[in-house]
Amino acid sequence: MKRSHIVIILIIAVAIGAIMATINDASTYVGFAEANANPKTTYTVIGYLDTDAAMDYDARANRFEFGAVDKEGVRKKVIYHQPKPQDFERSEEITMKGYSTDSAFVAQEILMKCPSKYNETNEMEGYETYN
Amino acid sequence: MEYIGEHLLPGQAGRFFVSLSMVSALISAVAYYLFYAGKGQAYHKLARAGFLVHTASVFAVVGCLFYLMSAHYFEYDYVWKHSSLDLPSEYIFSAFWEGQEGSFLLWMFWHVILGTILMYTAKKWEAPSMIVFALVQAFLASMILGVYVGDLKIGSSPFILLRDTPDNLGLPWTQVSDYLQKFPAFMDGSGLNPLLQNYWMTIHPPVLFLGFASTLTPFALAIAGLFTRDYGGWVKTALPWAFFSVMILGTGILMGGAWAYEALSFGGFWAWDPVENSSLVPWITMVAAAHLLLIYRNRKSSLHWAFFMVIVSFLLILYSTFLTRSGVLGDSSVHAFVDLGLSGQLLIYLLFFVVLSLAIFIYHFRKIPSNKKEDELSSKEFWMFIGSLVLFISAFQIIFSTSIPVINQLFGPEGLLPLFDKKMAPPLDPIEHYNSFQVPFAIVITLLIGVAQWLNYKHTGGKIFFRRMMRSVLISVLLTLLVSYFFDFWRQPLYLILLFASLFAVASNLDYWLLLGKGKMNFTGSSVAHIGFGLIIAGALISNAKQKIISNTDVFLSEDMPSSEHALLELGDSTRLGNYVAVWNGMREEKDKQFYDVTYYSRVDSNQLQKEFQLSPFLQMSDNMGPTPNPSTEHFWNRDIYTHVTYSSYLNPTTDDGYRDEMEVELARGDTAIYQDHFIIVDSLRVNASVNDTTKQYETIRLTLKLRVLNVFGEEFIAEPVYNLAQNTVSYEDAYLDEQGFKFRLEDINTESSLYVLKAWTEVREEEKPFIVLKAIVFPMINLLWTGCILMAIGTGIAVWQRVRS
Repeated sequence: MKRSHIVIILIIAVAIGAIMATINDASTYVGFAEANANPKTTYTVIGYLDTDAAMDYDARANRFEFGAVDKEGVRKKVIYHQPKPQDFERSEEITMKGYSTDSAFVAQEILMKCPSKYNETNEMEGYETYN
Repeated sequence: MEYIGEHLLPGQAGRFFVSLSMVSALISAVAYYLFYAGKGQAYHKLARAGFLVHTASVFAVVGCLFYLMSAHYFEYDYVWKHSSLDLPSEYIFSAFWEGQEGSFLLWMFWHVILGTILMYTAKKWEAPSMIVFALVQAFLASMILGVYVGDLKIGSSPFILLRDTPDNLGLPWTQVSDYLQKFPAFMDGSGLNPLLQNYWMTIHPPVLFLGFASTLTPFALAIAGLFTRDYGGWVKTALPWAFFSVMILGTGILMGGAWAYEALSFGGFWAWDPVENSSLVPWITMVAAAHLLLIYRNRKSSLHWAFFMVIVSFLLILYSTFLTRSGVLGDSSVHAFVDLGLSGQLLIYLLFFVVLSLAIFIYHFRKIPSNKKEDELSSKEFWMFIGSLVLFISAFQIIFSTSIPVINQLFGPEGLLPLFDKKMAPPLDPIEHYNSFQVPFAIVITLLIGVAQWLNYKHTGGKIFFRRMMRSVLISVLLTLLVSYFFDFWRQPLYLILLFASLFAVASNLDYWLLLGKGKMNFTGSSVAHIGFGLIIAGALISNAKQKIISNTDVFLSEDMPSSEHALLELGDSTRLGNYVAVWNGMREEKDKQFYDVTYYSRVDSNQLQKEFQLSPFLQMSDNMGPTPNPSTEHFWNRDIYTHVTYSSYLNPTTDDGYRDEMEVELARGDTAIYQDHFIIVDSLRVNASVNDTTKQYETIRLTLKLRVLNVFGEEFIAEPVYNLAQNTVSYEDAYLDEQGFKFRLEDINTESSLYVLKAWTEVREEEKPFIVLKAIVFPMINLLWTGCILMAIGTGIAVWQRVRS
């Protein structure tokens, strides 16, 4: 067998290793129910803002609390130790990375999907209301 | 209907030149093919003329768009979306390429420049390689065409009028002939994203897109090589282009890192973000490709891999375009482009070139010559080859993990071929995930960089090799011990090895350049570039692994979690930040920026402080994006102190009559909102209206919203804010609850959802001391990284220059 063949076999092995490790490392999107079942384990949950729940940013404690509903409709209080993201109220979807505790889901990272970056349509339709 | 005040001519000209550029590119491609097929010299002339017309039209399109932007013609959607009257003129460039259409144009602009150079210098390779160039350009032109065939949208034009966009079509204001004069919304644009109002954003995108564009030349030459069956001849022409691509693309990526470090609050220069990754990966494969081309030029071997890597680099550029522009990254990246509904077209573009180029490659695969004799273990080419393959797997690992959203689309539960029953999410700790692979790869690469310089092509004598290398091994061991002594790397063996390997790469190349090469020109390029790469790895390693968050105070910010990466600074009070004592001196406003001046003192003895430096991180205010933090960094030769303000009490504005903590909610009848520990229940709405007898239209409307406010003890209070509309003017009668200090306003009624828009404020009872929340990080030795970047760019530049000369 030629040396280059051995090298190529090694490379394929590492590549397969990389794929397997990625699939292992990759988390899955879950609901709050599963996160609650395994507290202290980190998950990524996709949900929406629960408009009925209280939303509060305590700046002195740098602690932002809000309510979220996941895709299965499970509600949970979320604590985020960062300032409130901009335009949070307008978010369509919230991706939260964090873990569950008894009382709340502690989010370490939050990504939001907003309907439109510039909210241009609302601005222009505004005129319609007053005419 | 005639619209008043619109400037239609430059837009029509722009659209005309977009079409012309596409048609001329296609004509040029066909003519080049006919010329190549031997149909006569006339086709050569036609092909060149076609490409020159194409070049001129791309310049004209760019000119038209620039003209529209600098003249502030806000009737154009692109101008309205990306610029505004108060935008400083130097940011017109940033606004130009902020959107997808503009950045496609930038890309085309670089392609025509490179294409024209190639056309006049490629000689026998001109015809076959220019076919590829012209085809790529035709595809790109179609991306900004903006025409509809039936319901199918082809491209998105930067010259579309605001009133013609699908979002606005049919809205009542589009029927008003003097809308530009009548409505304030159209007198000024919505402005450039404040994050992009930074000088890095005027230079990073053009360099990065030149980098993207530069991968096309080697690709076109490789395809030409297969096409003409002169499998080895193209390598000599392609070599300088490949190194040019390595230089420019690398510089563009690192400028992006510098921008993130200087102007974004990510806290670092690299975050393994999908958008960053997708431009890094083609660079890695291009580095591998350039080295494989070198091997072929010197030893006539590894040609298959050279072909493969050059082709893959360009395909990865297309793939990265697809990833960042199709919206597929939506869930996982914060800074991908907004989806323009072009993903189908992008996919066709991608698949066309992937299938075509790989098919040609496979068709010719068996005919590509290979060296039957095996490379010796002691030869330079063998280890360069191994290095290229390691680069390739490193690239593969990054792009595979970045592609998780794509894998979801294909194999997820809702995908084409549902193999997985759950949607995969990106790794929870991306930095940990990528580092676990990339650190070992970097160790191998930097070791190879250090060792391979001492090897000869074909064969190296063992004794000479070890004698040559001894000195750099010794120096780098000493350096490693020294650095580890200062930065404590002992408990991280993998990092310790990487530290040694990167320092070894630096020492070895320095030694090679100065002692063996005596600083001669033909040794300089590769040595300096490799020294630069070694320094980048060493700098990235030390500054990242040993970064220290000094805003970590002893104070627990909340009871259950010592989330203390952010320090709270009250106005005038001193706070300990690492070895410093920081004092926030106040906020000053300059236009739309709020600067927070923080002075850092060092402690001389127990009761004496000495002023060291002052930092002024700021918040950029904007109507669209709200406040955006912008860091401020103090640079020392051996460390940076990087700070940004994450919150300020000035962001909770007090109204003129002394109210703050504004809340805005939309509620229906019977809904409940919670505000400051009170339930607010919408009880009912009273409507009083008067109708004009002659016009039968409402003249005045008076809406009274009855709110029931309950405190924690269940006590109920009534508040009744009023909304008045008379002669098209709105006025409010706010309702006050004195005991709680609440003020309520019925702001509006949402006409779409029929929800009541309610605002509430609380009275400021006692004056609170202003404060800011600040994050401060020390990055040690980050200057090694920047020095490395500059050296790598210079070194690669010298290498390009030498290859052009020879």
